[in-house]
Amino acid sequence: MTNLNLKIMRRELCYMWRDRGLRNILMFGPLLGLLLFLAIYNAQNIKDIPTAIVDLDRSSSSREISEKICNAENLKVVTYPTSYQELEGQIQRGEIIVGVVIPENFARDVALHRHTQVLLIIDASNTAYATNASTAVLGVTRTISAEAGIKTLMSKGMDPAQAKDTYLAVDFKEEGWFNPTLNYVYFLVLAMALNFWQQCCTIAASINVIGETGVKSWLQIRAIGFSKFRLFFNKSLIHIMVFMAMIIPVYIIAFGVFKLPLACGFGPMLFFTLLFAIALHSLGTLMSSAANNAMDSTRFGMMVALPSFVLSGYTWPIEAMPGFLQPVVWIFPQTWFFQGFNYLTFKNPGWDFMASYFWALIIIALVCYSLATLITAWMER
Amino acid sequence: MEEQQSVVEVRDLVQKFFLKPVLNGVSLRLSPGECMGIFGLRGSGKTSLLHILAGVDRFTSGTVEVLGCNISKSQRFKQAIGLVTQEPSLFQDLSVLENLDFIAALKNVRQDGIERVTAQLELKDYLRHQVTALDFGLYQRLSLACALLNSPRLLIIDELIKDIDLYSRHLIIKQLKPFLQSGGACICGFSNMEMADIFDQVGWLENGQLEILAPLQAHEKWNNLVNSYKKPGDPEND
Repeated sequence: MTNLNLKIMRRELCYMWRDRGLRNILMFGPLLGLLLFLAIYNAQNIKDIPTAIVDLDRSSSSREISEKICNAENLKVVTYPTSYQELEGQIQRGEIIVGVVIPENFARDVALHRHTQVLLIIDASNTAYATNASTAVLGVTRTISAEAGIKTLMSKGMDPAQAKDTYLAVDFKEEGWFNPTLNYVYFLVLAMALNFWQQCCTIAASINVIGETGVKSWLQIRAIGFSKFRLFFNKSLIHIMVFMAMIIPVYIIAFGVFKLPLACGFGPMLFFTLLFAIALHSLGTLMSSAANNAMDSTRFGMMVALPSFVLSGYTWPIEAMPGFLQPVVWIFPQTWFFQGFNYLTFKNPGWDFMASYFWALIIIALVCYSLATLITAWMER
Repeated sequence: MEEQQSVVEVRDLVQKFFLKPVLNGVSLRLSPGECMGIFGLRGSGKTSLLHILAGVDRFTSGTVEVLGCNISKSQRFKQAIGLVTQEPSLFQDLSVLENLDFIAALKNVRQDGIERVTAQLELKDYLRHQVTALDFGLYQRLSLACALLNSPRLLIIDELIKDIDLYSRHLIIKQLKPFLQSGGACICGFSNMEMADIFDQVGWLENGQLEILAPLQAHEKWNNLVNSYKKPGDPEND
């Protein structure tokens, strides 16, 4: 009996070893996953958080504050908008994460020991980014605020040590925009559901071609001489319709019942999702055209679908990923979708800005479908 | 008298797999109303030859004309052929009726075509059955029904009646007769010499070469081949 068990186990081990695809996944999959996620999350803090300063005072005091913010460890001042409205647009387009507004008469109010307020705006649509930005900003504002307060008290003749413990003359008012309470339900629930959905869709699409050409019934299609374009066009159409039928109830529940934020409205969101479904399908089709069999194709699909959400920069900003990875992640439709999804649900920055996200998905679909057509034609030869 | 146009005309056909020739200069001709059997042992290249004729596989060199159409240049001939493959090639996820319906749609055949072949091959009682649940004889009847849907002028059949029940075999052979009488032609791969008698001529495929024989000659050649392996005192001599 023991001998028999051993023989069964040995046979299974042989099978697992001789199946090259399975062997590679089992041997290198966890290792690759470890390396990939180590690379992504290597930066413990998000550095160089894009920051803008609106200096409405243009005084030496306001410049001093600007300088301190410039020297802050994890903030990178990338722009100096001239107005609040300009700053608002830049935050909405995701160009900056932290905005600092120094009010008019700031220097005068400080000199007169009047209470003055510097506005700090943090884009809270990405909770991970917002938490890091908030920590980075707090480090600077506390110092500035305390210094200003101490100076005020010392000018009134108070002992520096005593002054240090007293009130803060410059108040920094912090505002989180788009998701002010950093609500993880708003940020993650639907995104995770969409991640699950995109994984299912990628795997389903990854047998589009090989699921047909890799089975004996393909002989019937070839013998009849039926147009392959027509066949795969119709197959693809029904795949995409099914993908959309899967996600529409999810959207209805998320936006209609649970009232998750949807800044852009249902129509644009649905259209964006449709383009993503097409791009996703094209990627699956490309994989299925290059695979030797349906099993390998499903494995390819899994290898792309599983890490794509993490790579999309939705939970951990792309800017904080290693340099070599940053251009690579934009190859995947998932990156365009999850980035665009964040904009559309929280900010709705308008068509001018979002157009590139819509076009990227269209271009990915065209490239993948074209390559799949070429590969399928070549395989047929 | 003007020579009748051939249904199949193959000249110097060469097919190589990884540089190894499977078919090496095969030539054959098939006229309307004729039924040719292609005999060969396993791996002799029968399926390759039949798949080339059906336009399913490409070939290395030579000329193949089916219904007057050079198959390297045009696929028009596919409208007028029917293929039954050696391995089950119907749509496994569909029922009998769904297979007939889908293949009829692909072949652009109307509903009455389905009714005709269903009656011819006595499939009416099995229409709702999944094809995976059919026994082999019924499966082959359905395969032939699908091949006949478009009323083809050439039937290409690979091992249609091997190892099937006698009733299905009888039914299939019965359907071939009117098909041939109406001017259709049939080329059929087989590996059991007992079946040679149902063909007008037998193409003996060996070492990539095709030799055309009368059924009687094919039997004789087969017997000689079997006898050549016998040694005095072998039990099978008794």
